[in-house]
Amino acid sequence: MKIRFYHLFLPCFSVALSLFPAPAPAVSQAEYTRTVERYEMPDVTLINQDGKRIKFRELMNSGKPVVVDFIYGTCTTICPVLSAGYTNFQRKRGADAAKVQLVSISIDPEHDGPAIMRKYLKNYRAQPGWDFLTGSREDIDRVMKAFNAYIPNKMFHYPIMFMKAPGDETWVRIYGLIGTADFIKEFEKVVKK
Amino acid sequence: MISRGGFSRYRRQVAVWLISLAAGAALCFNALPSAHAENDLSPILKGLTRDDVLRMGEAMYRIGLLPSGEPMQAVVMGDVPVEGTMFTCVSCHLRSGYGSSEGQVRMPPIDGTRLYSPVSKSRRAPLVGRSTGGSEELYRPAYTDETLASVLETGIDPAGRRLNTVMPVYILSERDREIMVYYLKYLSTEPQPGVTETTLHFATVITEDVPGEDRDAMLVPLKNYISNWRLPKSTERGQRSSLYKREGTMKAMRTFTLAVWELKGPRETWREQLEEYYRKEPVFALLGGISTGEWEPIHRFCEDHRIPAVFPITDYPVISETDWYTLYLSKGFSQEGEAAARFLHGREDLSKTPAIIQVIRDEPAGRALSRAFQDTWVSLKHEAPSTVVLKRDEPIPASFWKELAGKNKKPVVLLWLNAGDFPELKLLTKGFKPSVVFASASLLGSRLSTLAESERGYVYVTYPYLLPQVSKGQRTQVGTSLQNDKVLMTRRSTALKMYSLAQTISDPLSKMRTFVSRDYFLELIEAAPDLVAAPATYPRLSFGTGQRYASKGCYIVQLTGGPNPELIKKSEWVIH
Repeated sequence: MKIRFYHLFLPCFSVALSLFPAPAPAVSQAEYTRTVERYEMPDVTLINQDGKRIKFRELMNSGKPVVVDFIYGTCTTICPVLSAGYTNFQRKRGADAAKVQLVSISIDPEHDGPAIMRKYLKNYRAQPGWDFLTGSREDIDRVMKAFNAYIPNKMFHYPIMFMKAPGDETWVRIYGLIGTADFIKEFEKVVKK
Repeated sequence: MISRGGFSRYRRQVAVWLISLAAGAALCFNALPSAHAENDLSPILKGLTRDDVLRMGEAMYRIGLLPSGEPMQAVVMGDVPVEGTMFTCVSCHLRSGYGSSEGQVRMPPIDGTRLYSPVSKSRRAPLVGRSTGGSEELYRPAYTDETLASVLETGIDPAGRRLNTVMPVYILSERDREIMVYYLKYLSTEPQPGVTETTLHFATVITEDVPGEDRDAMLVPLKNYISNWRLPKSTERGQRSSLYKREGTMKAMRTFTLAVWELKGPRETWREQLEEYYRKEPVFALLGGISTGEWEPIHRFCEDHRIPAVFPITDYPVISETDWYTLYLSKGFSQEGEAAARFLHGREDLSKTPAIIQVIRDEPAGRALSRAFQDTWVSLKHEAPSTVVLKRDEPIPASFWKELAGKNKKPVVLLWLNAGDFPELKLLTKGFKPSVVFASASLLGSRLSTLAESERGYVYVTYPYLLPQVSKGQRTQVGTSLQNDKVLMTRRSTALKMYSLAQTISDPLSKMRTFVSRDYFLELIEAAPDLVAAPATYPRLSFGTGQRYASKGCYIVQLTGGPNPELIKKSEWVIH
């Protein structure tokens, strides 16, 4: 068969779509699931909002309780809620905010550079103790895989958060969006264990 | 044959039926928001014009600022306070109001048409054009101004159901709430230019400076795409179903047309030409297009008319963080200048070099490269480099390099010059010893591999494409399809960019269905999964809300020895 250039386009048309129109408003209440996991942190160097190179493994074992989530700067749906949760968590802790290491890791590392991450943190009124990290796609992939949270594409991401007490080998994995009361409850359980 | 009495009875029955139908229609007719409604502002908004209210509502919806200039306040997830600076309506429901989905979280449409329509329980779909469900059981009734104001404040919909707590509950004064309601009522109710019941009209722009082969390499695949467009079979089947016929959504199966807008003469006259084309035939969007010069006049035209423009082929895109309507493949030359600055910044041995010199010609390429390098370099807290500007056709005498060497010791030199400036592609003459030299692969073009071997050790090249050794397999595969067409083969890079365009817009065009909107079209492109190893040209094409340059990286490479050198990457694809 003679191949025409437009044949290249045919695969584009084979996208199967739902037969149903756009969904009606979602009304189910948010829920989350909690599990306890063991993860091996990768030996990678990432870059924070100030352009500083951060040894990820060291940051995860900095002697502070750590909370980690995966977000990106232009996310429309999940990340804003996760980040508002970080903001309110810091607000509730007041002067003790910096005693907990909050970490947001970009899943859009090509776009999220230090300047964009700084602006993002400013919009969310981030206090010291909240770092936003980016890096090469390979290193970001290694971090996502280490947390068993790998997604090949940022558009497929889901709400997930991890907490760990200093010196502890285990992580609490929280799947779903949570309010501040649940956030603090889970955090207290982790550090008081 | 109908008897006289029978005919009268028949007429009466028809009359009764028509009256009933009219009455039913009147009852069921939903006063859907019209873009041109007058005098429908709430008394509490007295003193404001319709435009005032829409402008204030837009600021609340898009940037989370109240008419007072203060950020909006809300609560999400039951107990998480949020401010408009963090996120606001547009973050989830997008500019069009047509909603979004990420992972398992779906944000419903909140455009005026669908908010003010009831939602069927069985189909969970808005019954557009109806105020009641008729015989259908409703999931929720159509919103009214009052129930819409109420749901913003309480999070409880007209069916008495509490919305997901991901939806913020807003703390608004009555006046601000009325402004928000009014804005939502008319959100995305404007008619869309270039759209008819049966057709979506597109155009592509070509400037007269473009050589014939490049023009054909852009236009032939684009025309093929337009003429061969059809919806995925699954969508077609769905839209032929009785469900879709009831919804009147057959109009989603529109055909496409492509007008070619040719721009001639001086750039200053392009705007007038574009206006004339648009006046004669309004289009929904611009696809592709090509120019050897700066794209700015076409970019500005699209911004002013809110016309989406996807993947024009240009080395000179407009670099902006706020403009909305043109989606570029990359930042062009600017991307290379920026990458060189970031690479240099990361090299401690080089970044402290006292002398950094850019050499350019007084033409767009040199200006774009040097401006991007300088802006990025200064943003990284370095002193501005010095820039030597040569006239367009000025020969470079040997004395030039001597003078440059005389002034500076071991400088870093960025030679943003064409291959034609270097006989036998020897970038430097004897006696001039810079620490490193940067050059642009886009400017050196196909002569890059002929770079003199004696200079390969200290020459770094900005390379904003997929590396040849990586793309080899893909090139072979795509090349098989291109080989029947000589023009497309010789200008393969241009043709491949149109292939990327097709991959990028096909799914969004399918997904728009009946809700054809320019903003929604752009939003669907923004929300599409990344295109990895995009048609053997770029490692990755990706967007996100507000992102306007799909390919975001640029390697810094060096050449190996020998007559057929390989490109060895000296940096990551994206350098932070």
